[in-house]
Amino acid sequence: MAPPSGLHQTALSSDFETPFPPLVRSSTAPVAFKSHRADPSHLAPEDAYSPVSPPRRTSLYNLRPRLIRRKEGSRSRSRRRQRRFQKLLWVKQSYPDNYTDQATFLEKLQRNPRVKPYDFWPLVADSTVIVQQVCSVIIFVVCFVGIFQERVSPVSVVGFGSFATFIGWLLWDWWVAEESLGAQRAMDGTTHSHRGRDPRPVRRQDSLGGPTRNASIVSLPGAGAGAGTGAATPTPASALPSTAPSPRLDQHLHIPRFSIGPTDSRSASIEPSTAAASPAGSRAQSVADFHEAHYGHHRQRSSISSPIRGGGVLPGNSRLQLRLSTIKSAVLIYFTLLGLSPILKSLTRSTSSDSIWAISFWLLAINIFFFDYSINNNPFTQATITNPHSNQTGAQHKFPIASLSTNAALMASTVLASRLPSTGQVFSLTLFSIEVFGLFPVFRRYARHRSFRYHVILTVLLLLGAGAGVGIIIGAPWVCECWQTWLKHSLLGMIVSCLIAAVAMGGCSWWLIGLQKYKNEIYGPWDPARPIIISRRYYDDE
Amino acid sequence: MAPTYRIAMVCDFFFPQPGGIESHIYQLSTKLIDRGHKVIIITHAYEGRTGVRYLTNGLKVYHVPFLVIYRSATFPTVFSFFPVFRNIVLRERIDIVHGHASLSSLCHEAILHARTMGLRTVFTDHSLFGFADAASILTNKLLKFALSDVDHVICVSHTCKENTVLRASLDPLMVSVIPNAVVADNFRPLGYPTTTTTPPSSISSPIPGLPPNPSSSLTSSLTPPRRILGPHDPITIVVISRLFYNKGTDLLTAAIPRILAAHPNTRFIIAGSGPKSIDLEQMIEQNVLQDRVEMLGPIRHSEVRDVMVRGHIYLHPSLTEAFGTVIVEAASCGLYVVCTQVGGIPEVLPGHMTVFAKPEEDDLVAATGKAIAALRRNEVRTELFHEQVKNMYSWTNVAERTERVYNGISGAISEAEFYGYDHLKDHRNGSNGSWTAVTATRGMRSGVQSFALIDRLKRYYGCGVWAGKLFCVCVIIDYLIFLFLELVFPRESIDICPDWPRKKKVVDTRREGGGLEWGDVEEYRRRSRPSRLR
Repeated sequence: MAPPSGLHQTALSSDFETPFPPLVRSSTAPVAFKSHRADPSHLAPEDAYSPVSPPRRTSLYNLRPRLIRRKEGSRSRSRRRQRRFQKLLWVKQSYPDNYTDQATFLEKLQRNPRVKPYDFWPLVADSTVIVQQVCSVIIFVVCFVGIFQERVSPVSVVGFGSFATFIGWLLWDWWVAEESLGAQRAMDGTTHSHRGRDPRPVRRQDSLGGPTRNASIVSLPGAGAGAGTGAATPTPASALPSTAPSPRLDQHLHIPRFSIGPTDSRSASIEPSTAAASPAGSRAQSVADFHEAHYGHHRQRSSISSPIRGGGVLPGNSRLQLRLSTIKSAVLIYFTLLGLSPILKSLTRSTSSDSIWAISFWLLAINIFFFDYSINNNPFTQATITNPHSNQTGAQHKFPIASLSTNAALMASTVLASRLPSTGQVFSLTLFSIEVFGLFPVFRRYARHRSFRYHVILTVLLLLGAGAGVGIIIGAPWVCECWQTWLKHSLLGMIVSCLIAAVAMGGCSWWLIGLQKYKNEIYGPWDPARPIIISRRYYDDE
Repeated sequence: MAPTYRIAMVCDFFFPQPGGIESHIYQLSTKLIDRGHKVIIITHAYEGRTGVRYLTNGLKVYHVPFLVIYRSATFPTVFSFFPVFRNIVLRERIDIVHGHASLSSLCHEAILHARTMGLRTVFTDHSLFGFADAASILTNKLLKFALSDVDHVICVSHTCKENTVLRASLDPLMVSVIPNAVVADNFRPLGYPTTTTTPPSSISSPIPGLPPNPSSSLTSSLTPPRRILGPHDPITIVVISRLFYNKGTDLLTAAIPRILAAHPNTRFIIAGSGPKSIDLEQMIEQNVLQDRVEMLGPIRHSEVRDVMVRGHIYLHPSLTEAFGTVIVEAASCGLYVVCTQVGGIPEVLPGHMTVFAKPEEDDLVAATGKAIAALRRNEVRTELFHEQVKNMYSWTNVAERTERVYNGISGAISEAEFYGYDHLKDHRNGSNGSWTAVTATRGMRSGVQSFALIDRLKRYYGCGVWAGKLFCVCVIIDYLIFLFLELVFPRESIDICPDWPRKKKVVDTRREGGGLEWGDVEEYRRRSRPSRLR
């Protein structure tokens, strides 16, 4: 509201105009709302797309005979004119307290001011992330059923899974190396670049050079750790006491640090679950290291407390070290699981099978519902836009959800594996679950970040795989030798799964867009203001 | 002779707990007693305060034992308050139940039971709520339930009225805006003459009906001498608020170093405590401002004036505020007010007492700079503020206006006068279809709502598809409980409490409260102009 303008001469002269109409009951009746829409509590469909304030109820009072209300003994009569009603408390009003001024009542009300209408195809594209996760879970379940019914040999499952993981790791390693090279080149070109540049300037550069609201990002050269390791970490200067004086040296020095020793929410989320599976603490640590190496590419925050192993080593050398340590971790996991399998096998012997099915169903449902589907597929964008402080708070909010999802899935796999009769089967299923639920999401995220085409290809492959698996499990008889039946059923499953996916993705997107007409957000001066603080060091979202 | 009423104020929040709502209830009750009404207060038991207490002026307080869950709000049990409430109401022969604060479940319950028992109800809303988050949605639904069948609602500012009308889907005409007030005598500036008990009649025009004499309040001989500020005199900025997020402490923390850097001869005094005080202290230490920012910690309400008079500017960076009593207190102490333009704050003080800022760091710094510059040029006649605030807000005036609400709902003044003339005609003609439908649910006389159960159920039924039916069930159960109580504890067996001797209504001719005339503002501008030329 503007400060009282009545002090100005212009406003005073306007007071001599026609007095505002008196208190009129009909003027406040909710007639105008009813006049142009059927249900006043809902928005009309057009409101979802043209977010404007509701039309002001004007000129209604002109239809009514005017009746100037006079209050006996009030000062207004002696002044012989009625002041225009103003929303002020300090001024002596010549209106009763419950007077509702038609022109100013609810004039600041805004409906749906910040609604962004959804578009159909982007919504469908975004929903592929969910399809991927659901398909992963389905594939895992299919593999379990296959092992459980002894249709598939567990060795082939885990062999195929490990092979795929290995290929994925190679691919990931190659991508990382490529980006690291690009980042180095960009860094050599521009000393004071805010972000590590990327050789592929399309679409990414916008986000990289995006709005840096935070002064501390701009002022801190060490934050420009490259796309090379994927570790773009805006670090507040206070959090890095060991920052080297030279910006360039600093960058070089810090890249391996970011890549190897980050405490990521994901790695932290893996750690407890793996530790649950393997009580041996040191082994859990090595497992965590392995995951760090794999997860190290997205949304990291440097942490001084994390072990710094690659510090001071040049990138090429550290890459080799990284690979070695990854292989070491993989071997450690392998043997840990091998040792644990006999224990897991008899873990739930005393529990009946249907309880296990129910538990694993709920755990997998938890995994699907709480999975981190954040659309922000560019780790650099996340790091750039969010300032250090809100990054921390965001991580605080995100942390339990992501870890809950992964933990639930690993728990489900452990519980399911304990139903299996032989040690080899248990080992295969557990290892496969780690690959599917622990490592595969990271790869998917990175593929999505690299290129949308990879993402789509991966989605289609997953969808076909899941469909084929379900088709074989449901359709094919118990043990069938003839491969034609298998092919037939798998083809049928693929077609059905594609149909279901298309209907679900399109239908849900269409439904969500259709639901937008019920959106009725009300904003007004009563809402707490959002403070805009430039030096955001102290700003906390709560 | 105007009718007098027996009024029960019901609220969870009351003394010994300090706060704005608490003192509002106390001051309003006292002034209503002065006007010849009988007022009792019903609240829950506090530690060390149980049973029945008498306060000054014969104000009786019932402390009902109740389970307190959060920040002295009681647990919302819909019906459990009814037996005790009915007993108190019958014992004290209450006519009007007046509930306060939308977070007080005691108040909502009392309104429901009072309507079941056939009493008039008024509700005063003191706070603003959003519509977006889940907690607000739940609160708003509950408020809708409580206010579906209330006779009248009072809000403390126009913004608050809009908010309440939207939240509870009320007819705007049954919502009155009656602001808070301050006891101006408790907030006198330094060096102000202390003849407070009976201000001379020269200050006020003797009869309120007469046109005001603009010079009367401003040119009286009692105005304190002008405070002329030299170019190098220090300017002190006072901040008194609880240090919470919604009080804008983050803005304050960000703005203080910039303000102090831009204006050399300034210092801050910050009073209050809260979770954000650690941020402030950190800011002070990082910028080495220990000698220019003084943090007093929590202070009592009685010490507020003593802190305020040490300063020249009052800075209020709040993010949401229904009324903002503290800026009125600051202006009454003769401080120039810099405040954020949120909630009901822009309605509270005239433009010559305030500098408004957007809730942004930059704007707050700029507004404070503007205020400091204006004070340095000696443009602002802060010594006149006290007298003006005294004329704007007084509890006597609040009680007078509240009394009009009581008259309106109990039918002492006609519906036409209370709600406007046009409505009756409209209603008789039935010209407006939708509107007659609305009035049908309110009974023939909308000012005097029907107590018939079926009419009440109609009002509750409109609350929502599911909620409406649920509320109806609640109301029916409440009615059954009422019948049961009438059987088990018959009215005849409840003792009638003897009343405290009523006061004669004092006809106060002082022109205090009720707002400033525009002429006064013009006069102020005329008088502050020469200094600008100087």
